[in-house]
Amino acid sequence: MAITVPQERLLTSRTTLRRNNAAEYLFLVPAVLFVGFTVLYPLAYNVVQSFQDVGIAQIVSGQAKYVGLDNYADQFGRPEFWESFGISLVYTGGTVLVTFVAGLALALFFHRDFPGRNVLRALLLLAWVLPTVVSANVWRWLLDGTYGLLNTVLGTEIFWLGAPSTAMIAVVLASAWSFAPFAMILLLAGLQGISGSLYEAARIDGAGAWAQFRRITLPLLKPVSLTTVLLCFISTFKTFDTVFLMTQGGPGGATEVLPVYAYKLAFSFYKFDVAAVATTMLLVVPVVLSVFYFRSLRKEELA
Amino acid sequence: MGVRRRLVAAIGGLGLLAGVAACGGGDEPEGASGKLTLWQYYGDPSSPTGKPLYDLVKKYDDARPDVTVDVRFIPYDDFNRTLLQSAAAKELPDVALIGAFDTATMASAGIVQDLGERVGEWGQQDKYFKTSWATTQVEGKTYGIPHVADAYAVYYNKQLLQQAGVQPPTTWAEMETAAKKLTAQGRTGLAISGIEGPEGATVPIIRMLAAGASIDKVDSAEGRAGLDQLARMIKAGSISKGALTWNEEDAKNQFANGKAAMMINSATYVNILRKENPKLQWDVALLPKDRTGQTFLSAENLAIGATSTNPDGAWDLITWLQQPAELQSYLPVRNKLAARNDVPDSSNDPVRKVFAQQLEEAWAPDEKLAPKASEVMTHLQAALQASASGSASTEDALKAAQKAIDDSLAK
Repeated sequence: MAITVPQERLLTSRTTLRRNNAAEYLFLVPAVLFVGFTVLYPLAYNVVQSFQDVGIAQIVSGQAKYVGLDNYADQFGRPEFWESFGISLVYTGGTVLVTFVAGLALALFFHRDFPGRNVLRALLLLAWVLPTVVSANVWRWLLDGTYGLLNTVLGTEIFWLGAPSTAMIAVVLASAWSFAPFAMILLLAGLQGISGSLYEAARIDGAGAWAQFRRITLPLLKPVSLTTVLLCFISTFKTFDTVFLMTQGGPGGATEVLPVYAYKLAFSFYKFDVAAVATTMLLVVPVVLSVFYFRSLRKEELA
Repeated sequence: MGVRRRLVAAIGGLGLLAGVAACGGGDEPEGASGKLTLWQYYGDPSSPTGKPLYDLVKKYDDARPDVTVDVRFIPYDDFNRTLLQSAAAKELPDVALIGAFDTATMASAGIVQDLGERVGEWGQQDKYFKTSWATTQVEGKTYGIPHVADAYAVYYNKQLLQQAGVQPPTTWAEMETAAKKLTAQGRTGLAISGIEGPEGATVPIIRMLAAGASIDKVDSAEGRAGLDQLARMIKAGSISKGALTWNEEDAKNQFANGKAAMMINSATYVNILRKENPKLQWDVALLPKDRTGQTFLSAENLAIGATSTNPDGAWDLITWLQQPAELQSYLPVRNKLAARNDVPDSSNDPVRKVFAQQLEEAWAPDEKLAPKASEVMTHLQAALQASASGSASTEDALKAAQKAIDDSLAK
């Protein structure tokens, strides 16, 4: 639809538009300042620091030398860094997998109507709302070798957090436990968006429950699933508190994920420069993944 | 008109921002108001570890009517980080109660002041135990005054030892046998903290020192002998495998509820055990010996912040707090030992006497090691973890630790 506007009127309306906009933008200033100071500035500062030689003395004096890619070369040449990176991937992969499966199971369960559904669902959400400090410590107590509830129930004396393999499983389960309700909510919303008539038609065609789930639920849930997995990946990949509170990265570094590794470099060893490299990687990996995600999403929309 | 009003508002806003910035700068000399700030990580006024310090500072406050001391509690885990951040913002406290082993790090970073001249005038440096005083020294300069000292010793459950017919061990060989004998259904012989990070390195360090190892050269026959025995005791169950996840508080709890017959811990828990478990019958013994019987020094130093605007006031507070007469009543309540040898212990407490005797053989990292102490200790704990869990032989664990230690010390 084409509207022709006299040239003169267009000009005046544009100037008033501009003036109004200027005033409107002023209202954005507090928000921009806030985000700038609390998010963008520290983020940029961190990246800058990864290119500088920053130890404890430089933090105090505020003056640091640029060293180019030295810190990156240092970290990328260290087996500890790659070990920690690998541990991060195992931890994140495990958590995302368990979270997704548990979240989907819960979503399917709560998709049906039954008495007490809302109350139960709200109770489940508590796990997600609970501060990590609380949940991580509760898990630590549950899994304690001597007085932990799990051992009492199983009648065993296993030091879950004291052995490398079980410690990893423990932190994965603890993280998945708190993320699963969040995944459930997202997936439930996705499920509710699928039209019931599809299932009806499938039933008439003689499709069983499994076929309905595989041919209708899963494909139609794909966009929501991708979002869930991505969000879960991002929040798990940068998780510090659960792991630190439960194992401090131990035993013997078995659960030393990248954020814990970076924390140790910075605040136990005062190597702020190489710690900044590790935290920059924490930023880069999710960003790269998000780019792939949005690209695949756009392809799907075009298709 | 509209534009002008907006302009005025904008300039006003800028002015406000500038005003805030100026306030943050704090150029006003603080000495005039007689206000002092003291940062510490002992505890808040309601905690058993924090209250004695607040009480002591209040006494100082009352003795100096023109001065008020603002004591701020920052938990240990955040303490050094907060100091660093405040140093960057040039807002350090006048007095900081810092970890003895961190003193060298803080000094080399310029966070705390050189007290050399003041100490010279004061002339009391000879009153301090050598090891305690050494923690304040960096390149011949003095960066702090030892506030208190603490040592590690063996706590033992009298009842359990009697039942098993075991005497408190005096050598590490005896310790291994005793711990094995005391290990029974649901109970272990010895509780230690072996948690990831520096805290869990204390007992491995004590054990290796006993064998005669030097902490920057752990890949040695002595280092191996020390670590081998600890790993052996963990594998045998005489030390619980859970120790690898315990901090010192956890080890204390094991001992307090009778789950462990002995523990290696600092004097910090003496009053806590007495108060929380009055029925528990226990005593302390000197650390077992091998070649030596050195204890790990746990201590704090009083230092003056580099950006303090009232260093004279800060010095007055520090020296007042270190008066033998004040320490005499403060230390027993605080469960700490004197870092100086002219404080009479009138408490007549046999347990305190053992710790005081143990303190005579205290170890602290030397000047070369101190700035990297936290790093080196983390590597040592990793060696314990690796050898105890069986993921590496003691030999390989110590080789890896040595490589990491050399790497840390080279920088």
